[in-house]
Amino acid sequence: MFWRLLWKLLRGSGGRLAVAILALASCAMVVSALLNLEFDIERKLTQEFRTLGANLLISPRNAQITGSSPAEVMSESEVSAAIQSVKDPNVIAVAPFLYVVGSTQNTPVVVAGTDLEELPKLEPAWRIEGQWKLSPAQQTMCLVGRKVAQQLKLAVGSSLNLTYLKQNVQLKVAGIIDGGGAEDSQVFVELPEAQDLASIPGQISFAQLSVSGTTAGISHYAARLASALPAYDVKPIRQITEAEGDLLSRIRLLIVSMIVLISVLTALCVLGTMAALAMERRQDVGLMKALGGSIGRIVTLFMAEVGVLGAAGGFIGAILGVELSRWMGQRVFGQAISSRWEIFPLTIILMVAIALAGALPLRLLGKVKPAIIFREQ
Amino acid sequence: MFGRLVKESFVRNPRRKLLTAAALVVGMAVATSTLTIALEVGDRLAREFRSLGANLLVTPQSDTLPVEIGGVDYRPVDEGAYLSEADLGKLKTIFWRHNVLGFTPFLDVPISIQQSENAAPARTMLIGTWNAREVPVPDGTTFKTGVSITHPWWKIRGRWFRDGANECVIGAALAKMMPGIIPGKVIYVSNETAGNSVQDRSTPKAMPLEVVGIVSTDDAEDKAVLAPLEIAQKLSGHPGMFRQLFVSALTKPADAFSERDPLKMTPTEYDRWFCSPYISSIAFQIKTILPGTEVRTIRRVADTEGNILSRVSTLLWIVTLTALIAAALAVAATSATTVLERRGEVGVMKALGATNTLVAGIFLAEQLLLAIAGASMGFVLGAVLARSLGSSIFGMPASPRLILFPVVLGLAAIVAFTGSLIPLRRAARFSPAPILRGE
Repeated sequence: MFWRLLWKLLRGSGGRLAVAILALASCAMVVSALLNLEFDIERKLTQEFRTLGANLLISPRNAQITGSSPAEVMSESEVSAAIQSVKDPNVIAVAPFLYVVGSTQNTPVVVAGTDLEELPKLEPAWRIEGQWKLSPAQQTMCLVGRKVAQQLKLAVGSSLNLTYLKQNVQLKVAGIIDGGGAEDSQVFVELPEAQDLASIPGQISFAQLSVSGTTAGISHYAARLASALPAYDVKPIRQITEAEGDLLSRIRLLIVSMIVLISVLTALCVLGTMAALAMERRQDVGLMKALGGSIGRIVTLFMAEVGVLGAAGGFIGAILGVELSRWMGQRVFGQAISSRWEIFPLTIILMVAIALAGALPLRLLGKVKPAIIFREQ
Repeated sequence: MFGRLVKESFVRNPRRKLLTAAALVVGMAVATSTLTIALEVGDRLAREFRSLGANLLVTPQSDTLPVEIGGVDYRPVDEGAYLSEADLGKLKTIFWRHNVLGFTPFLDVPISIQQSENAAPARTMLIGTWNAREVPVPDGTTFKTGVSITHPWWKIRGRWFRDGANECVIGAALAKMMPGIIPGKVIYVSNETAGNSVQDRSTPKAMPLEVVGIVSTDDAEDKAVLAPLEIAQKLSGHPGMFRQLFVSALTKPADAFSERDPLKMTPTEYDRWFCSPYISSIAFQIKTILPGTEVRTIRRVADTEGNILSRVSTLLWIVTLTALIAAALAVAATSATTVLERRGEVGVMKALGATNTLVAGIFLAEQLLLAIAGASMGFVLGAVLARSLGSSIFGMPASPRLILFPVVLGLAAIVAFTGSLIPLRRAARFSPAPILRGE
């Protein structure tokens, strides 16, 4: 009986309900797309933040400060073994560094020994003129900072003679780096070259990692790494992690407030439709009451109707929302935002709630007096 | 007659109008606030990004190669070129002076420190800089700036040194290495190249500095002593000089245009480039005002900022657009409902000989009045909403923009019209008889 009545009611006022469904579905579409975004934006934006470069530093504990030579070093193999053992898909780049202050053409220059292949991944913002890496055969190649190139009149392809104490090495310039910071006055060589130069095979000054993820995720990874490397300092580079967290929370707040605003608007629209519907159905209600239907039952019937509307609108909207969020992701981040299945029921529940909130004034129907209604006719 | 009909409709049945008006008010409030936020967000986020610190680095042009690792320059003091501290006020006179949020000069001096006058010395670096300096600007005003603006992530325990005082703060790693040094203690610093000519000429053997705080920067500065710039200048024998200047400037994300070489632009393009706050044009203006310098973009910061800013503003425009569409649909749906509700009225009018045009005219006039009223109220409400949203999201209220009013008004009219058009077209097909009979 209840279900038959419900079905009749839904079919009876098709046009008007279509309007309500339209409003609900459009709301659901936007809300589900925004929810998807809200869940994914952290991952997407933290990836963008990786142009900031390394955000995790492994350094020897109690390193000494000296101007010209690497005083405190740590074992390369120990560090790389630890990084291997603490696997994490969010690690984008790992680069060991060994700094030596060598000299060339009688000018002191900072020589950074590192994994040149990891460098472009570690520092995506650096511009390079020339190449990051030559073919493996040319072992003795280097990258020079812009200032070094300027000062020493070097160009891509020219050769460079580096000296440290009595060691000497001949290098070929593969590329010129423009980064804007200290790197502009450094020479980058493959790690073994720097180790040979300083005669400390297997040793590094520190290691830098670029790890994507949230601030919490990064510190968690740092903690795991620290427990694998008890003898060293593992710490996130704060300049980067702090700014990230702050910006993210603001952007997310923005999205959440948009969701709330749109939901209020939709509730209002449902309210309008339902109020109109209720006015129109006063006679039906009068009749039901005259035939002995209790108020509770009648209101339940209407609410059920509204609930079905909300669910239908939510369902249609959630499906459209998947498309919308895919498009949004493509447009904004150049890659689709992956839809989460949780969004689907969440949107439907939200829509049912909004629809029911919009239909609350229907309780006024309880005040309908059958006699008056019928007399009006 | 027409006017009276419209007026009657409002007077007779205000409740029905109320609903459409309410939907319009809320819809337009959403539109106003989202548009206000969207217009403002680029600017606000750009300011937020300044928490990444400086994005420009100024160094002397004819310099020797810095021996620089992690932001600290280990060159001896008698080597390389210096810049004059006195010129820095000029930075606030460039075309984009208001976009220059802060700048801090740095002078690094290799020193040895002693915990007491006779204790064994340890080698480290002393970084001279500004904490919070009132810089005189050539136009007569002063501008307050310092490390808190260009290096906002530096954390201090205790307090910062006062500019000009014989105070210093020490890096966290250094504090750990030399546990004897705690805030309140006095350390003695002397130029590492002690005994050379600079040292003999001007500075006393060791300079006492009171430690007032411990700074942690997560970089090379952690192993150094930070002191007022004057101290570093005195120690190095270069009064009024510095070596590096970090500038934090508000910029517009770089695009293909901003990357072009200004020398190859046409005069109009050049003006457009010069008058846009691109990082390249601000760098150019700084270089012009401080001759003999080289101004470099710190790419990590500038690129990240540019990428994210442009992405977030695209994102926000899309979100705004979808919010507008959802608002428009909801409002249109509500006005459609109110028109549908009045089928009986349409029937009577038609039975009395009204043409379809007249009926449509009356309804549309009503909707227009509603749209104007709804848009005005919605605009005010939206402005208030934007203010509070702005202050909760960015900590600063978003100022209302009057330019949005005609936009919102037009939007309201379009939405209210389209919402009633579909039911009106159906109404035009009604024959009066069945409606009046109540079918």
